[in-house]
Amino acid sequence: MRLRFNLVLGLLLAAIVIIAGVFAAWIAPYHPIIDADLMNSEMPPSWEHWMGTDGQGRDVFSRVLYGAQVSLTVGLVSQLINSCIGTALGVSAGYFGGWWDDLVNGLTNVMLAIPSLVFALAIMAVLGPGLPSLLIALGLTNWSWTCRIARSSTLSLKNQGFVQAAKVAGFGDGNIMRTQILPNIIGPVLVMATLGIGGAVLAEAALSFLGVGIRPPQPSWGNMLTDARELLRAAPWAAVFPGLAIFITVLGFNLLGDGMRDLLDPHMRTRRA
Amino acid sequence: MLTRLGLIAALSLGTATIAMAQDATPTDGGKLVFTAPYGNSITSLDITATPHTQDEIVAKALNRSLYKWNPEKGQPELDLAESVEKSDDGKTYTYKLKEATFHNGDKLDADDVLWSYNRLADPKKALPGAEQMLQIAGVSEFQAGTADQISGLKKIDDMTVEITVTNLADPGWNLMSNYAPIYSKDYAEDQLASKPNGLGPFKMANYVAGSKIELVKFEDYFEEGKPHLDKLDIMLMGEASARDVAFRNGEIDVNILGPVQYEAYGQDDALKDNILEVAEVYTRNIGFNPKVEAFQDKRVRQAINYAINKDLIVEKLLKNKAYPAVSWLPVSSPAFDRNAEPYAYDPEKSKELLKEAGYETGLSFSVTATPNESWGVPIVEAIIPMLSKVGVQVTTDPVESAVLSDKILSDNFETFIWSNSSGPDALKYLTCFYSKTSQTACNYVKFSNPEFDKLVEQAGSETDPAKQADILRQANNVLQEEAPVWFFNYNKAVMAYQPWVHGLKPNSMELAIQDYEDIWIDADAPASRK
Amino acid sequence: MLRFILRRTLQIIPTLLVVVLIIFVIFSVVPGSFISSLMSEGRNATNADVMAHLNQQFGLDKPLLVRLGDYLWGLAQFDLGISYRTREPVWNVIEPRLWPSIKLALAAMFFAAIIGIPLGFIAALKPGSMIDSGTMMLAISGLSLPEFWFGLLLMYVFALQLGWLPSFGYQADSIRHIILPAIALGVSPMALLARTTRAGVLDVMNADFVRTARAKGLSEPRLVRGHVARNVLVLVLTTLGLQVGSLMGQAIVIEKLFSWPGIGSLLVDSVAARDIPVVQGAVIVIVLWFLVINMLVDVAYAAIDPRIKVT
Repeated sequence: MRLRFNLVLGLLLAAIVIIAGVFAAWIAPYHPIIDADLMNSEMPPSWEHWMGTDGQGRDVFSRVLYGAQVSLTVGLVSQLINSCIGTALGVSAGYFGGWWDDLVNGLTNVMLAIPSLVFALAIMAVLGPGLPSLLIALGLTNWSWTCRIARSSTLSLKNQGFVQAAKVAGFGDGNIMRTQILPNIIGPVLVMATLGIGGAVLAEAALSFLGVGIRPPQPSWGNMLTDARELLRAAPWAAVFPGLAIFITVLGFNLLGDGMRDLLDPHMRTRRA
Repeated sequence: MLTRLGLIAALSLGTATIAMAQDATPTDGGKLVFTAPYGNSITSLDITATPHTQDEIVAKALNRSLYKWNPEKGQPELDLAESVEKSDDGKTYTYKLKEATFHNGDKLDADDVLWSYNRLADPKKALPGAEQMLQIAGVSEFQAGTADQISGLKKIDDMTVEITVTNLADPGWNLMSNYAPIYSKDYAEDQLASKPNGLGPFKMANYVAGSKIELVKFEDYFEEGKPHLDKLDIMLMGEASARDVAFRNGEIDVNILGPVQYEAYGQDDALKDNILEVAEVYTRNIGFNPKVEAFQDKRVRQAINYAINKDLIVEKLLKNKAYPAVSWLPVSSPAFDRNAEPYAYDPEKSKELLKEAGYETGLSFSVTATPNESWGVPIVEAIIPMLSKVGVQVTTDPVESAVLSDKILSDNFETFIWSNSSGPDALKYLTCFYSKTSQTACNYVKFSNPEFDKLVEQAGSETDPAKQADILRQANNVLQEEAPVWFFNYNKAVMAYQPWVHGLKPNSMELAIQDYEDIWIDADAPASRK
Repeated sequence: MLRFILRRTLQIIPTLLVVVLIIFVIFSVVPGSFISSLMSEGRNATNADVMAHLNQQFGLDKPLLVRLGDYLWGLAQFDLGISYRTREPVWNVIEPRLWPSIKLALAAMFFAAIIGIPLGFIAALKPGSMIDSGTMMLAISGLSLPEFWFGLLLMYVFALQLGWLPSFGYQADSIRHIILPAIALGVSPMALLARTTRAGVLDVMNADFVRTARAKGLSEPRLVRGHVARNVLVLVLTTLGLQVGSLMGQAIVIEKLFSWPGIGSLLVDSVAARDIPVVQGAVIVIVLWFLVINMLVDVAYAAIDPRIKVT
């Protein structure tokens, strides 16, 4: 079997970002908010400031590290919410069928039809900027694909022997869904979630651009980029590094998701074996 | 109230480059690509329906009002009237109208003026421009429904109008407003929003909502030999970074600059000679809500003024595209005290005051702020570390601009950061701190101080402008001492223009509003402008 | 087939209804109002009487349910209401934005297709190879850039540095103006298409009929051209269609950046001004576009591939 280059690279990049976020408080040489020195704003990268300073005189490196916390939280938590909603709705709709299935299908179509950025923008307008609002806005708006996958997988699983057997054996519906169906669809759902993390990180950046992201001065890559977009000439480092961080993160999780999909895909398995 | 003399001429701090530009004789023809920088769309082509500067930038090309603002002299002057006579009691004005033609061919007459002002004041139409009509006698009765007509408006003959006002102030200050234009009474009202019909130097050619407005020279414009330009495009570009690229690329002819670009353009040999600067009459401030107990203590408010190094913020963050504020009235105001010193940056003094007031530790508040780079969240981000050094914890409450005004008017804030008009009329804007002015009018911090009230009342009944300025100066100093707000800066507006553009004016009311009829381009303009 | 189309058309109605309801609920609790947006510049204090009259004129003083009822009743008669901002019928505000929006979506899709599909094919020919990894990395890179950031970079490079293209704006008859926004908007569907194509090709390559052909000794290039291409086409067309359907709503940021007069920038401006009827109208248009395109894709899908049972 060949080295799964993409998967390994994806894992590596994701690991870097996660480590950066988790250990930000230990790694970061400066406090991302209080250690601002306007006298030294827009300084290019140096020994004191590896990634230079931003317009407020804050250390870009430290802010990128702390920004990883926000971006990762946004990515992971919003995808967790999405996956839970999507799986719960999808599995139950596929399993029970009938009016519930119709209802879930209708709702999925609605969610697919309203552009998620528009939806998130509206929710942010109601809740106001900040991390919790962001998690809700992005967590509630991107579950439709997961739901569809969960539903169609459940439909095909429902009539298979082991599920029928469990039914005959007198297990309850909830129990069957939990023990028989869920383990069999967790793979594709996980892939969707991994791929969605990148999307959530980008969505945070877009919402910051539209003025409704994280509550400043808390750093997120999105608001760092937005703040620095006019500094592109004067202090390009203030924009390049958070941009790079977003790029690495999204790339990493996408490669990871793709790699996982290849692993799970039976065609690929037989072909590669 | 009083006429404000020409003292406001001091407002016009235009650079020498503009004076040079105007030495040459204008040449006719060509196209100007202007920008409206306050958003990606305009609200309506009918300026009476909107209160936004973005719309005013377009309206200035399409319409004319009875008076106009003269940016060089800093005062209103007649526009659609060739002469005016003032009655002995100083309240009745008789205007002889100029011969002027609307874009659709209608001729201007007295009925158009009456119709336009009646429409603006009509409560059923709910037009924001109604504000400018309030000085006219009989408008309040008309709005209350007790009169069918505005008693202060009379047609003498086809070309003569008589306007009676309720006080001694020059009505030109209200009637010069671009939000109170003269429309043709015979033109269908419901067409105004899409097919405007004004008396202005340019008429509509093509409107791409959300992108641009293309205008062409109106041949029958009433001022002889104007406008100079054949075509005028106004691009709607709210995104500063995109505007920067477009300007450097020669796609647009003017660019209103933010701080970062102001610095960059000033350092760029190719750009630095074509920059127009003016001290605009806005004061940026953080207003303290007395609802928060700590802010009822003068020492706390002063302490905050001492704790922030505003010179540094103005220098580093605003790149000197602002003047550090002393008190409320801007440097250019006749009532500005040249001897007054701003609050010094003195953290020790600040700590002392906080200690005296009993807020040595534990004072924390939030600042409601929009994303604006000169008076919004970035400024709050800069004061957070400064105030934390004196033990004050500040958090941001970031909001959209519609929510900012909503929160302030409904008293739902601890502090806010905003940019407010502070001129040219000093009395009008100091009255905003008069205790009887409501919070929804403009006393946003519910300021109430007997000494200040007395001074404002005195100033209101003073007829000698010099004496009035004196009293207002004292009032302004009281305001500084009381510190109902953190005095941050007075705006410096900056516009960059291409070297071939001439005739721009240092308009201290709003630099983006230009007299298009006086703008011309020279022979060096690129082919795309010919 | 006709019954299918009819059924799908009828399904649009409840979907739209729910969308309208969601937007209505959200904007009835959103802070800030149209009236407060008039004050937002902090200079032209709007008279309190004017505000009260405006509220009355737009029926904002009526209870929520009455307003919803009024709106739905109007909608049933194809009346989208009156814009608070412009005081014109909402349709007059939306209509001029439609064509620029559609044009941008199609142009972005065109870019995505001519780059994404070949990339996907190339990657699939040698799965697991460096070429595969390389092309896929390239495609995913496209997915990994914040779009306003990518748009700004495009402006800097192609307008300012190279001077090849205008940096912003809209001209009805100009192709040059659409290129940069289309690329900025198309880069993410491009990545998606490349992936889908790759996956589709791999799937077909493993299908029995291809294995048979390969066993018969057909060369790989001929194989790709003949058997695989035709079968992948269906998949690619579906993805393409779905993407076109959702691009109109995704263009918000790009439209703002490039001063493109589309529905997306109208929507953002209307949200900022709390012009709720226009927000409703714009969302309805975006959703309708999505639903109709989806329906067309399904119909086309059924027409191309008779094995799909249409019910």
